[in-house]
Amino acid sequence: MQMRPDVQIQSMLKALNDVVLPALDPANKLAQEQARLVMGMLALMSQQLPLQFRFDCDELTRLIGFCRELEAAAGVEATTLSGRAAAASAVLARAKADPAEVQQAVKQLRAVTSEVVARAFSVSDTALQDRVQRLVLALAAEQNPRDRAWFAAQNWEPDPRALQPIETLLRPVGSD
Amino acid sequence: MQNIEKSRPSPEWIAALRRRFPTEREVDRVLTRKLERRAGPGFIPLQLETLVKGAESLIRAHIGSNFKLSDARWLSGGASKLQMAFTLDWAPPGKAREVTPMVLRMEPAESIVETSRLREFELIRAFEGIVPVPPVYWCDSLGEHLPYPGLVYGFAQGVAKPSASSSGVSGLGTQLPPELRQKLVPQFVDCLAKIHTRDIASAGLTAFDIPSAGTQCAEWGVNWWERVWEEDSDEDSPLVRLCAGWLRQNMPKLDRASIVHADYRVGNFLFTEHDSRISAWLDWELGKVGDRHQDLAWTTSSGFATRDTDGETVLVCGLMPENAFFEAYEKASGLSINPKTVHWYKVFNNFTILVLLLATGYRIAKGGKTHQDVLVTWLMGISAMLQEEMRGLIEKGA
Repeated sequence: MQMRPDVQIQSMLKALNDVVLPALDPANKLAQEQARLVMGMLALMSQQLPLQFRFDCDELTRLIGFCRELEAAAGVEATTLSGRAAAASAVLARAKADPAEVQQAVKQLRAVTSEVVARAFSVSDTALQDRVQRLVLALAAEQNPRDRAWFAAQNWEPDPRALQPIETLLRPVGSD
Repeated sequence: MQNIEKSRPSPEWIAALRRRFPTEREVDRVLTRKLERRAGPGFIPLQLETLVKGAESLIRAHIGSNFKLSDARWLSGGASKLQMAFTLDWAPPGKAREVTPMVLRMEPAESIVETSRLREFELIRAFEGIVPVPPVYWCDSLGEHLPYPGLVYGFAQGVAKPSASSSGVSGLGTQLPPELRQKLVPQFVDCLAKIHTRDIASAGLTAFDIPSAGTQCAEWGVNWWERVWEEDSDEDSPLVRLCAGWLRQNMPKLDRASIVHADYRVGNFLFTEHDSRISAWLDWELGKVGDRHQDLAWTTSSGFATRDTDGETVLVCGLMPENAFFEAYEKASGLSINPKTVHWYKVFNNFTILVLLLATGYRIAKGGKTHQDVLVTWLMGISAMLQEEMRGLIEKGA
């Protein structure tokens, strides 16, 4: 997936800064102020998004510890806390990898498999090429519907109703 | 797996790419220049005054100071180049003084399609008096007068779609009324036939190499775009690599070298509404000397097609059914169509667009290199649909 928030936000900020803001009526104070707020919010998002998951996991870790301490301190008044803390601990146990690491792993596997595909086509071995071709096309047959559904809201598809909603195509995290 | 810093390419890496992907000399020059400048600054918004000064310098270098440039204004549209309209009060060589509406077309720091202004200039000039094209005047192929390379051509009258119609980005999906279609169809076919049968030797094309018979044409094409994939991509793709391998494995032999427009479709010609005449063919920047099947495959792409009023019949570029188009083309040009070669070029065209969208689109937006970063980022979303089309085309076989 090449179109990600880093390049999306960066290009939106550039358009707002270079084109939209200079074209706004300086006398329209509300428009000026809101355009700057939108830019500020986008800049904030670009800083926060890469750390969002880590931030949430970090807070959850602290809250689990806090639950346990609070339960011990509050006694009978806090009996529901241990169950909630255990459930949250189970979630945290599944959230072991940072999304940035997942993204990096995707990128690495794309690179190494692409290299193998390219190498297969640089030698004269049609049987090898046929085998590789079958596998790549099978992968694409699985991945393409997800990519298309991911961008459905852009309305490029001639028949968007033929696409399944993206929510139904993505397996839940940790379901393997 | 090598880690290359593509935003700061080393001279060794550039040299290795040039050796690995031999292609036309001017294509090589333009791609090399792009890489050599990549580590430099992004695109900085330009004042109209800067372009006016650059245009005046370019014009002065050709005709002296006896002119007046006025009424400069930005033209919108297009993801790849900046355009400024203006009027020039001047005396064309051998003519009385006149006021001519003109357009300056200039590259940004890096473009979604990195092409040569000299090639574009020479191609348009080659078709003056043969098919409707805007007159071209001056070219600043190295950016000696303008901030970046550019050219000046005449402002062409006409519209890309009926005033009362709607369409998507770049004129795609335009619905043309049947009576208009009837008038445009013969001109559309005739112009393509004239482009493909234009004598190359007398066309004044200095910035083009002519492929020899055999597979050199196809190989240059794959080399060009695989090189761009190497230069620009961030995330690699097994499907794109498979496609490159498939293209090399099935390269068609060139039976006859023709001038190829390379973006011949609805949205890229203007017509005058009062008489439904095609007034100008635009967007020649990807044109080359190559295989006519490249245009035929491109023009018949499903992305440019619409359905007839019966809701069933698919119309090439919203104009006519594919079999009628091919039949009329063969008759007008005297050239045959090889369906296998058309299929190969459909895969090739799909490959080039995926490279542009996924690799170059990402790279230039990330580097802040264009006036349209937000648009090229938006366009990356088309790639999902194109990947599925690529899969289907390859699965069909050679």
